[in-house]
Amino acid sequence: MISAIEISGLTKSYGRRRGVKDIFLKVPKGEIFGFLGPNGAGKSTTIRSILGLLHFEQGEIKVLGMDSVKQQKEILSRVGYMPSEAMFYPSMKVRDVIRFAADVRRCDCQEEAGKICELLEVDTGKKIEELSLGNRKKVSIVCAMQHKPELLILDEPTSGLDPLMQEAFFHLIMDYKGQGTTCFLSSHVLSEVKRYCQNAAIIREGEIIRVDTVDNLSKSNLRKIRIWEKGRERNFSYTGNMKELIRQLNETEFSDVLIEEPGLDELFMHYYSDGKEGGAK
Amino acid sequence: MTLLKHEIKMNLKTLLIWAFSVGILCAGCILLFESLEESMRGMADAYSDMGAFSAALGMDQLNVSTLKGFYGTEVALMFAIGGAMFAAMTGAAMLSKEEEGHTCEFLVTLPLGRRSIFWWKYVGMVVLVILFHFITVLFILAGFAGIGEILEGKTLALYHGVQLVMQLEVGSVCFLISAISKRRQIGVSLGLAMLLYVADLLCRVIPDIENLKYITPYYFSNGADIFAKGQIETGMVGIGLTVILISVLAAAAVYGKRDLAA
Repeated sequence: MISAIEISGLTKSYGRRRGVKDIFLKVPKGEIFGFLGPNGAGKSTTIRSILGLLHFEQGEIKVLGMDSVKQQKEILSRVGYMPSEAMFYPSMKVRDVIRFAADVRRCDCQEEAGKICELLEVDTGKKIEELSLGNRKKVSIVCAMQHKPELLILDEPTSGLDPLMQEAFFHLIMDYKGQGTTCFLSSHVLSEVKRYCQNAAIIREGEIIRVDTVDNLSKSNLRKIRIWEKGRERNFSYTGNMKELIRQLNETEFSDVLIEEPGLDELFMHYYSDGKEGGAK
Repeated sequence: MTLLKHEIKMNLKTLLIWAFSVGILCAGCILLFESLEESMRGMADAYSDMGAFSAALGMDQLNVSTLKGFYGTEVALMFAIGGAMFAAMTGAAMLSKEEEGHTCEFLVTLPLGRRSIFWWKYVGMVVLVILFHFITVLFILAGFAGIGEILEGKTLALYHGVQLVMQLEVGSVCFLISAISKRRQIGVSLGLAMLLYVADLLCRVIPDIENLKYITPYYFSNGADIFAKGQIETGMVGIGLTVILISVLAAAAVYGKRDLAA
């Protein structure tokens, strides 16, 4: 498997504050890879380390086969990045921001930029200071994609976009994927990860707790248990050996029991909250 | 080069406001000289005999009733303070404005490289100061043309040459502040420009703090000194150039080690 991103032993802290610890991650080329985690888990630290924007203490990151520290400029020329908060120079017009990004990349991106602007209905004559968050996000999408990058790194890309624009955005992403572009998608929206990603990693408190296919992540042996004993209802979740669950249930005097597979949202909440597998809670 | 063009475009409005304001002020003073000449003649002796006040403003060296004296003491003062304030503001905003405005993430993720961003930003500051200087000098020359009289070219060129060094020194020190700070330190930078001017005044009248002349760039670029002697103190200018070099290298070291702000 050829990796677009390969992180080995990444550790980054901010003084006493935790950043990320001993992260190992491989993002296969040509796919949309999900990166999930609650706020403050270390998603942005990981992304900024990939882009060579942070000085990390330990580890090595290869992006498109290049060292993220030594070959940062070359990497950035082949990567499109969309930050979670799209901020541009307020006094500039949208078309000038897009042209500035293209000029720095020394590419004639007019055709591609025009295509994306049309699809996302971007008003290029407006000043940045006149735009809403959603419209600034659209400008960010144009800047990240106009040079047809080999790797797209998207940090919560759909926040602020209305459902129609989210649809148009993923249409674009799938289009780029079809042309061989890899996409590293950091998101809070589990439904979009399930819909578009093949594999995903979950990060919690600065550590990767699971990397697997989205199907496998959804097919966890986590179960929601509801039992009624002595007229009282009790709810808990269980992961691990099902025989052991049956044994534990046998020891209780329940009048009824319901064992359910959790929904995707509940499943990820389980990962976010403790990340451990096995045993009842 | 793209970043340089971008910086000049972003700062063009401020540049023009400052350059036109200082330029018009200086040219206006020169144009007023003819009408003031007579009254100045009567006051020249009094001005040159006011002890510390005269020494601080250089009026003990030049006759303010002559164009050279008027320019070297009055116009040069406005030009020096205006230029230093513009350089200080420009230098202090160059790097920190990106973090303050949260545009840093956009800029550093373009394939420029942090080192390249740093140097083009510095070049941007230098170019803006030179443009400021160029525009204001055009106004000053227009003022001279208006009264049909001009100062000796060599001394005028010498004066504006060291003024440029002075402005670049103030701008470079403020550029270092900009590399350290996450916010635009406009107040600190303007305060610094004024403080250095006060240091020049004081070191001329108080012997105990004479050594301040090695710190303040207003000393080696003082208009009265240059127009009176027709020469500059090259050693002092050398100190100014060294401060520029140290400030830029320190700023590069600080900026290179900084992480992108969260």
